[in-house]
Amino acid sequence: MQLREKLRQIPLDLMASWAIAKKDMVIYYLRPNIIVSGILFPLFMFLAFAIGSIGGGSSQAPQGASEIAQLGALIPGLLAITVLFSASSIEPVSIPIERRMKTFDRLISAPMSLQALVFGESISGFLYSVGIALIPLAIGIIFFGNVIIAPFALAVALCLASLCFSSMGTLFAAYPTENVGEVMSMLNLVRFPLIFLSGVFIPLSSLPGWGQVIAYFSPLTYTSDLIRFGYGATSHLSPYVDTVALLAFIIAFQAFGNYLYRKFNE
Amino acid sequence: MPAPAIEADNLSKRYGQIQALNGVSFTIPEGEIFGYLGPNGAGKTTTIRILTGITQPTGGTARIFGHDIIAETIESRRHMGIVHETSNVYDDLTAWQNLIFTAELYHVPKAGRDGWAKELLETFDLLGRKDDLAHGFSKGMKRRLTLAMGLMNHPRLLFLDEPTSGLDVQSNLIIRRVIRGLADEGVTVFLTTHNIEEANLTCDRVAIIDHGRIAAVDSPERLKKTIQSVQSVEVGFDRLPDELRNGRCPFPSVNAMRKEGDKVRFFTDDPSVVIPAVIAYADREHLKVLSLTTYGPSLEDVFIRLTGLDAAGKEEGRGLSCS
Repeated sequence: MQLREKLRQIPLDLMASWAIAKKDMVIYYLRPNIIVSGILFPLFMFLAFAIGSIGGGSSQAPQGASEIAQLGALIPGLLAITVLFSASSIEPVSIPIERRMKTFDRLISAPMSLQALVFGESISGFLYSVGIALIPLAIGIIFFGNVIIAPFALAVALCLASLCFSSMGTLFAAYPTENVGEVMSMLNLVRFPLIFLSGVFIPLSSLPGWGQVIAYFSPLTYTSDLIRFGYGATSHLSPYVDTVALLAFIIAFQAFGNYLYRKFNE
Repeated sequence: MPAPAIEADNLSKRYGQIQALNGVSFTIPEGEIFGYLGPNGAGKTTTIRILTGITQPTGGTARIFGHDIIAETIESRRHMGIVHETSNVYDDLTAWQNLIFTAELYHVPKAGRDGWAKELLETFDLLGRKDDLAHGFSKGMKRRLTLAMGLMNHPRLLFLDEPTSGLDVQSNLIIRRVIRGLADEGVTVFLTTHNIEEANLTCDRVAIIDHGRIAAVDSPERLKKTIQSVQSVEVGFDRLPDELRNGRCPFPSVNAMRKEGDKVRFFTDDPSVVIPAVIAYADREHLKVLSLTTYGPSLEDVFIRLTGLDAAGKEEGRGLSCS
């Protein structure tokens, strides 16, 4: 394709991506399995860690100001896993369903690039995640008195992490199956360990050496770190490093996703 | 001279050890209705996937209105409408939303878009259900909506994969009427179907593909002329003599015979020889001839002859050879 043709195609691709994203919003946002995976699951994870950290395993409920503050300190972690689970939950549900219904054939035969298809699918997860992230953000501010010190950094963290994890979800959904459970199982094999190996609820410094090495290969590490920076907490890395790392993960997931969709179409 | 709608040149496709397509070539001029017939697994779907840019061939080239489908996939697709074999509408969208989503994917300008969508819904008798979710539609309605979606971008070339398979009479009639209308407007139609009679009635030319190779490409009538040996004479007697009932054919000029209900069908190269022989036989055996009809070869006969597909059905019935 000539350069001029490629440039002419960019706005058309973006329009097609947006059409795909809008379609996903209408059809999939309120699906029960997406609500469970994207909203309820992070909430229960938070509650589990909250009870564990405050109650110390006893039946004693948090009552004093210090307990409230302790819970508030868990909010950045809750925010990180909410973004992880909500952003990566749309495409692993929508794409296998579309394969089963053969509507995916419509998308792969439309006059747009494969990048536009992968990007459009990712946008729906991105927007879903940004919307859902507002819930723990509001809970933190209203109920636990969280103060956001660097709102711009927090906004960057939420946006980049949402796009990163939605791209990850789209990447996993490239696996050529019509069964949602198969994609979700593979995805959960990655998502669950990430929670424990990315400094979300367990500080990186408390991880064993091998765990700390693995943590640097996890986009959740940089998400969690940048969110903490937004809340004014001590961050492990520079916010610039976190930002660049998340951008690199987005590019890698999109590119690898493109490759896999092309390969599996054959 | 305008570029043909489709130029397939020596297309091949290999999946591992399986050679799905092997040197497939054909050219379809603009405005033609082209039938693509073949048994299951012959390579029809692979051909469509290559021509629509979903799959890349392992050999050969394909051009859509002069655009190489590999190098200029998106430009090629702009001219196409694709109606897949499955009625792949979005069940959770209304008929209207399905059409508008398609329009957005194909970059149909907003000006005139709504009017065209409404016209399509009217054509396919769906306007009254415009705001209903497709989930509640019957099979025929979904098929009509699928076809409407395929026309949303005013394609110059329409791929129709089994458009009328298993549909109710109303949907069949509407879809056939639309296909005829498209031909009148100069739209090229690439039609795959198992319904050979449909291809016979609809198509300007047909290709028969078998085991990944094109066995024949021509107009239905010319293809039929290639197998004159399957002309036949169908005779109804007032009673069926034991000789015929037991499959013993008394006529040397008959190649094969088949009992069809209360009638007998004699396959021959030359019906004019068989007819007097049948009359003479009836006189000799004191039989009354209740009916006598001659048939030319059908496109189905051509298909069976070229694909050798008659193993279970046809050959069993026709297996009373007279030679």
